[in-house]
Amino acid sequence: METATVTNGASIELEPAVDIPSSCNHYYLNMGPQHPSTHGVLRVLLEMDGEYVVEAQPVLGYGHRMHEKMAEHKTWMAFMPNTGRMDYAAALPYNHGYVSLFERLCGIEVPARAEYIRVITSELNRIVSHHLWLGAFLLDLGAFTPILYTFDDREQVLDILEDVTGSRLTYCYYRVGGVCKDIDDKFVERTRAFIKRQRERFKVYNELVTGNIIFLKRVEGVGIITPEMARRYGVTGPVLRGSGIAYDIRKAEPYSVYDKFDFEIPVGKTGDSLDRYLVRLEEMEQSLRIIEQALDQLPEGPYLGKVPKKLKLPTGDSSFAVEAARGELTYYLVSGGGDIPYRLKIRVPSYSNLSVLPELGKGLLIADLVAAMGSLDLVIPEIDR
Amino acid sequence: MHPATEKLVSDLQALSIEARSCDFAQRGYHLEIDLEAGQVRTLAECMLKNDMYLVFVGGLHVQPATEVIYQFASFEHPCRVVARAAVDGNNAVPTISDIFQGANWHERETRDFFGVIFTGHPYLKPLILAEEDADLKPLLKSDADLKESGAVRWAPPEEPAAEKKSPNADDKKTEEG
Repeated sequence: METATVTNGASIELEPAVDIPSSCNHYYLNMGPQHPSTHGVLRVLLEMDGEYVVEAQPVLGYGHRMHEKMAEHKTWMAFMPNTGRMDYAAALPYNHGYVSLFERLCGIEVPARAEYIRVITSELNRIVSHHLWLGAFLLDLGAFTPILYTFDDREQVLDILEDVTGSRLTYCYYRVGGVCKDIDDKFVERTRAFIKRQRERFKVYNELVTGNIIFLKRVEGVGIITPEMARRYGVTGPVLRGSGIAYDIRKAEPYSVYDKFDFEIPVGKTGDSLDRYLVRLEEMEQSLRIIEQALDQLPEGPYLGKVPKKLKLPTGDSSFAVEAARGELTYYLVSGGGDIPYRLKIRVPSYSNLSVLPELGKGLLIADLVAAMGSLDLVIPEIDR
Repeated sequence: MHPATEKLVSDLQALSIEARSCDFAQRGYHLEIDLEAGQVRTLAECMLKNDMYLVFVGGLHVQPATEVIYQFASFEHPCRVVARAAVDGNNAVPTISDIFQGANWHERETRDFFGVIFTGHPYLKPLILAEEDADLKPLLKSDADLKESGAVRWAPPEEPAAEKKSPNADDKKTEEG
């Protein structure tokens, strides 16, 4: 076991490097926990050979709050606000999975209008999340301008969502049996205006970024994840689809009313950082298509169904998977009766997506490691929970 | 049942692992498996051969022994599998992190939260918890809250009438215990 001494004098044991002989020329570098490209408090301990990464070891837990323990100590409804505080960039899919878990378990019917509102707001949230990623990813690569454009667009959606949900980031909007507030004509009108505006903005993104030779040189062929590697690590979401596997929970295990919409699953070819970029950009367009269809078909009726005040959970375990902005989010509930869960396991997408980093980072230039990590679209509070 | 799922079930049968079919509309997964600690690696190898991916590894503190929960799913066809393995006398199960590399972190996390030892794991150090909290095991239940393994399971399918009553029956048990 090797021991590295870092600047503060503490020593850390490293996982033994495989295949690479240790050399006296290697040195250790701390990337994070306050590094701009780690997007939150993630620390990556790097063993370096000059500019090349020999070993990249993520160090987690700086933002750990033990949500799973909190879930065992309050009623399942009181845990609802926690669900919006893991993946803060796309909290609504987390709300969605959580309420759907109990609706399925207790056999609660949700009015059609509520399901449509959920799909519309979830997809808006996905777009917002991809806006944030796009700006931050290019910032990592040294391009400052795009974030100014994407944050302008992000503001448009946040204003729409703020009106209906009451918050801008850590949403707690869905309820078991529906949503807590109805959408009105103003919402519909503003969302349609946003769709029109966003389609114009894609042209700006493409002119500014996609064809840019400096951008292409930084991402093409960098950080390749093969389908076989993705399977071994349980990689999901846009990262998996960048590797060419068309797996999306919205299609594979259709929940809510996703089976009523016509949309495609964009996939990449080689699984490099460029493919992941292109997949997310296309996904934003597909989300717009879903929202457009949902607005067209939006049924009238109640937005919150009749639900008993105190729900008693049946004894047993159940699982619910949704497609969050970063991949597969699974809630696994074990109940022993009553209304407090016995155990709630939360499987978050970024956790498995980041776990490829030690294998992915081997032999990369440190600048390329930043590009590869940016293309994974990590949200650290989600990993640490 | 999807043909690929049928093949998986028969492959498992050949390894003397019984996979029971479940109602997806109620539970959200298709197959349920109970394992001995020694069968964990056999299961993982069979899953990898059948092109499944690892969703998560987690723990569950129940009596008589802590259970390790594995969930697998498929990229190609709808098939989600939940497998449970009770730890052996040394509070241990074999690691599957050399079969599914993604299990590496999940197993370290389960060690953090439950103190389960994954035999053969290359680097079983705290991942989520800090080094000084390595023995905290925050998800272990207090004696008053700890339940029997059977008290957090679905009632066996041959007694559908008992299923509805089970929540109340469990409450009584908790009050007594």
